[in-house]
Order: sequence, then C-alpha cells, then structure tokens
Amino acid sequence: MFLYEKKLEYPINIRKKDLNMAKNLLAQYGGCDSELAASLRYLNQRYTMPDAKGMALLTDIGTEELAHVEMISTMIAQLMEGATIEELSKAGLNGHYTMHDRGLFPTDPNGVPFTTAYIETTGDWRADLESDMAAEQRARATYEHLMNETNDPDVLAPLAFLRQRENVHYARFKELRDYYMNKNQPNVD
Amino acid sequence: MNNYYNYQNYLNQAAKKMNPPTDNMNSLKNEGIVNQNQMNMGQMNKKIYEPYEGFIKGSMFPELYKPYKIANPYEIKPMNEQAELLTYIDALGFAMIDLNLYLDLYPNDRNMIERYNQYRMQKEEFMKQYESKFGPLVTTSDALKNYPWAWDNRPWPWENK
Repeated sequence: MFLYEKKLEYPINIRKKDLNMAKNLLAQYGGCDSELAASLRYLNQRYTMPDAKGMALLTDIGTEELAHVEMISTMIAQLMEGATIEELSKAGLNGHYTMHDRGLFPTDPNGVPFTTAYIETTGDWRADLESDMAAEQRARATYEHLMNETNDPDVLAPLAFLRQRENVHYARFKELRDYYMNKNQPNVD
Repeated sequence: MNNYYNYQNYLNQAAKKMNPPTDNMNSLKNEGIVNQNQMNMGQMNKKIYEPYEGFIKGSMFPELYKPYKIANPYEIKPMNEQAELLTYIDALGFAMIDLNLYLDLYPNDRNMIERYNQYRMQKEEFMKQYESKFGPLVTTSDALKNYPWAWDNRPWPWENK
C-alpha cells in the first residue's frame, strides 16, 4: 500500500502567474509521456518482472513518479492561481475553463484527454523495459522543451530536478535490462 | 536573503545530538557473507554526493548527473524556519530514494546500505523536530496525539508560498 508524506519531493514556490506555462506543463501531467503515464506504466508492469530486482525497481520508480505527478500538479495549480477568465482565454485555456473551471484535469497541452493507451504493458520484460527506457528519454526531451519556454527560476529549478530524474531512471532501467539480457532469459535474441 | 543556516554545519550538529548510529553500523558489518547474487560489476566503494548536493542536482551519483542549460544547480532558499527544516528532510529523503533505486539492483553493496541507514536515521531525527513544531508529515507521527486533530493543518504541500 502507499503511505502519504505531507510534503513534495522537491519544494515548489511559484510566485508569478503564467498561464501559458501552466498550459505547457499539461504535457507532463496528462500527456503521452507524462509523469501520470510513467507511474501507472511501471506500477502495472511490475507484476510480470522476472525476479526481485525488477519487481523492486519498478515499484520504487513507479512510486517516485507519483511524487512527480504531485509536483507537476502543484506547478500547474500555482501558475494558474488567481487567473481571470480573460487571462485563461488569452492563453488558450478557454476550453479548459468551460469544462473544468480552474480545476486540474489530465490532458495534454492540446486538450487531448489522458488515456490508458499510453501505459504500454506487454508482459514481456524486454519489451517493457526497452519501452520504459524510451519513455524516460521522451520525458527528458519534453522537460528540455519546457525549460526552453520559461525564464522563471521558480519554474526552472523543479523542471531541472525532474529532468535529471529521467536520466537516473533511464540508467537504472538500462542496467536492469542489460542484467536480464546477460542472464540469457529464454526470449533473448 | 542568504541568512539561512549553512547546511553542513546544521547537519553535523544534528548528527551529534542524535543516538550514535555506530551500533547498527557494526551489526551490519558483522553479518555473515550474504549470497553472491549480485550484478557482476565493480560497484563497491562507489563515490556519491552528500545529500544536499545530490538533492539540488537531482542525482546522488556523479556519473549520472547530466545537466541541461544550467551551469550550477539551483540552491534551495527557504523563506522561514519551517521551510528550512523541511529542506533537510527533503535532502535526506531524496538521498534515500536515489540510494534505494541503486540498491534494488546492487543489494550486496554494504557501504551503500550503511549510507542508506545513516540517512534514514538522520531523516527520522529531523522529522521528529519538524513534527513537534509544525505538525505531522506522516500518519504514523507522534504529533497526532495532539488535540485537536493535527493532520489537516495547513499548508498542504501544494499551498507552500
């Protein structure tokens, strides 16, 4: 089960409203390579990992991704705080306002709602881990795009932290994948 | 703005105040040889960052730290005592998260298990200090003996401003 710690993994303190950036950050909230997709993906895939290392790593990275969902949600909420309807409209969030007011809702920046089709579980460790490595790289690239879209240090600091976590998770997934390859599992080429 | 405590001094002072973790460390060392079900790589005595440096960099492992666009990692600048105490908890908690991922794959690295437990005990000590002043961070906290019920105290994590 999960135990809640009443704090963020990394502090977030955004003082300046920025609706364009709130909209852009939806990519990591409800997009195909979002933190939400990552957490569900790993927590679902762990049941068919071949041994204890894989079960542990997918549980622990999946859990950390849940903490990242909370960070991204916090950033969006703080960036939208006190927004007027005019400001939301100007940033292209009029559709969001119409359907969700100022509530959070997992879509991508283009309004495409989150779908479980993003989760990608095959039950095959090699396919799953190689897909996870690619997912971490796509998320890293997305964080770089987001870092190119703002100059606000309150936003850049947590983005830089989250981007670096993608590098670490990628490296751990790769180590696990290489370890299984070396153990000559039956479905290895 | 730079009048927040020096992180290392604070940590060292706190470490002195705490129950010395040496007993536990020795018991870890004195355990018998565990089975050699480890990944066959030279992982022992791996260099890692101190918790605060690792935390602001987003990696405890120097070889995995690959920054983008920024020359130096952003320093945490706590605005009050509560945020400052939380920074120590954050840094130690982060060190535990990152070492945990590593240990999932390299469970026979004794040195890293010792570091993990050192950070775990330091974090517990800071949690006790924080929770006695600012209320519970977890639902297993002693701060929940207080009346009225303290779990719903604000701020919630997304409210910190």
